[in-house]
Amino acid sequence: MNEFWLTIISYAKLILLTIVPFVLAGQGTMLGGRTGIFNVAQEGIMLVGASVGFLVSYLTRSNELGMLAAMLSGGLFGLALAYFTTNLRMDQFVIGLALFFIGIGLSTLLPKIVIGVTLTPPLIPTLKEISIPVLSQIPVIGEIFFKQNALVYFSILLSVGLWWYLYRTQVGMELRAVGENPQAADSLGVNVTRSRYWTAIVGGMLIGLAGAYLPMVYTGTFTENMVKGRGWLAIALTFFGGWKPDTILYGALFFALIEVLAYRVQVLGTAIPYQFLLMLPYLATILVMVFSFRKARVPAFLGQNYDREKRAL
Amino acid sequence: MKKSNAVFSIARAVLPYLLAVLAAFAAAGVFIALMGFDVFKAYGTILFTSFRTPNGFVQTLLKFVPLVLQALAFTIPLTAGKFNIGGEGQLLVGATAATVVGIVFANLPPVLLIPLVLLAGVLGGALWGLIPGWLLYRFGINEILTTVLLNFVSFNLVNYVCTGPLRDPGAGHPTTLAIGENGWLPMLVNNPPLHSGILLAILVVAVVYYVITRTVSGYELVATGANPRAAGVFGINTRWMFIASLVIAGGVGGLSGALEVAGAQHRLIEGMQHNFLVLGLIIGLIAKGNNLAVPFVAFFISVLEVGASAMQRTLMIPVEMVFIVEALILVFVLLSDLVQKRVS
Repeated sequence: MNEFWLTIISYAKLILLTIVPFVLAGQGTMLGGRTGIFNVAQEGIMLVGASVGFLVSYLTRSNELGMLAAMLSGGLFGLALAYFTTNLRMDQFVIGLALFFIGIGLSTLLPKIVIGVTLTPPLIPTLKEISIPVLSQIPVIGEIFFKQNALVYFSILLSVGLWWYLYRTQVGMELRAVGENPQAADSLGVNVTRSRYWTAIVGGMLIGLAGAYLPMVYTGTFTENMVKGRGWLAIALTFFGGWKPDTILYGALFFALIEVLAYRVQVLGTAIPYQFLLMLPYLATILVMVFSFRKARVPAFLGQNYDREKRAL
Repeated sequence: MKKSNAVFSIARAVLPYLLAVLAAFAAAGVFIALMGFDVFKAYGTILFTSFRTPNGFVQTLLKFVPLVLQALAFTIPLTAGKFNIGGEGQLLVGATAATVVGIVFANLPPVLLIPLVLLAGVLGGALWGLIPGWLLYRFGINEILTTVLLNFVSFNLVNYVCTGPLRDPGAGHPTTLAIGENGWLPMLVNNPPLHSGILLAILVVAVVYYVITRTVSGYELVATGANPRAAGVFGINTRWMFIASLVIAGGVGGLSGALEVAGAQHRLIEGMQHNFLVLGLIIGLIAKGNNLAVPFVAFFISVLEVGASAMQRTLMIPVEMVFIVEALILVFVLLSDLVQKRVS
């Protein structure tokens, strides 16, 4: 195989590796949205996930425990969001922003308390590549798809699983009904409150895990504001993924492609200053919004709070 | 009788805030105590650093300038029902424009250069507010995401300017050369140093309040925010109100950047925006979007911020602790709203 093909393969592999935070945060957002809970705290929850995941991995030397802790902390944010919006019926956007602020603060506070200021950045082991037996031996495809870290496999399987759950099972259909018309779902015996709680919590866990991916795969350490807008990009992704697990997975490929372009092309050296390349993910997202947002299909009850005792018109 | 009524209504409005502040301090106090620090010493430092020395008070005023403008950049569009989360980008683009003008025209006399530097900042910020405004106007694209994403674009712009053509080779951190001394804002007080930006900030607060409460356009803005459909029926061009509010907010955000350049730093420094955006949002939300309440809340938050730095220096408690207190105050203010609604 010549040089050219090897480069192509390595880029394809890199793009697949880069989809993970977008897929996890996107699916987490989608899941909550399917019951009407519009989470806007992604950026903050991802920061907390990155911070907690890093700290626990650092202290225990175990990435698995780190990921678990990141999911737990993300789940707590989801729980808070569910409580404030479902029980107290507060404005989802405003309380989401408040949780975002708390997330920013906690994410930098925790490392300062636990580790303190060090001269060299404290490092954690990065996620190992897992080769799938037999499949990884297939030329080209094996190299791209079957020699990745565990979370790459997980995020793809998760997307398939969520699609199956939402579109091929009875309970999944009932869940979708909650996000479209909770009144109707309620009258058919679906527990609206319970579905809002679990989707917000599991959604938060996925978003937290998305944050933990950054120190565990990209940097090996936690730095302030390391999420760099990926949480906000995940919201955009969810919108033009039409709040569907399958299209969110494809959309994540697009985001990963742009990110890989932006970060890797500067290594090749171009006439364009690299800062302008780094603007690409954000500018491309705005551009895509121009073309796709009006067509996007959104759960009808998104961002609203359900009051059982209120009269239906 | 009438006077006591007014006092009563003010007390009724302020009381929930006091309770929210107390609740937030109590909640964070538990955390501080668990970390093994002296809670009362910490809170004493946070609350009184601003009032113990002239320097502390001047520091507070210097913090107040960008914070009050950032908060207004959020609440002005909020009056029309739109969320501007892009104050940070507007500050940075304004600061960049101000710096470029201040360096290129360094030889102009102060009478010309100071207004030019400030104007460049306002226009730069307004341009950064115009982009999401236009996208909203032309394509109906939600402004929340576009304003946020443009912040990240501006970070890279600042990094380019600070490491590229205008770089100060002597500085270790990405920084530009200083702007011409003729572009520096005059000092109000020399020791401790307080630049005259505070006067402009107060002027902006007054003008915003006057325009929104006493003019027709201000009323149209409020009407648009209260009920865009009804406002549209009565002949208000609501889409135009949206774009105008975002451009004006951008200008105010840009001014905060220009004042940081012309008054405080005299150059563009990467990261000079600190956490002004988020604090501005917190201020605006605690003030519940009320433009008159904004300066008071902004002053209070400035006091906390100056106290936070002092606390980190003397007691080694990380400044982020206070940031969490501020976010908790917001949460408790929102909760107190809920309680009031249930009671009434």
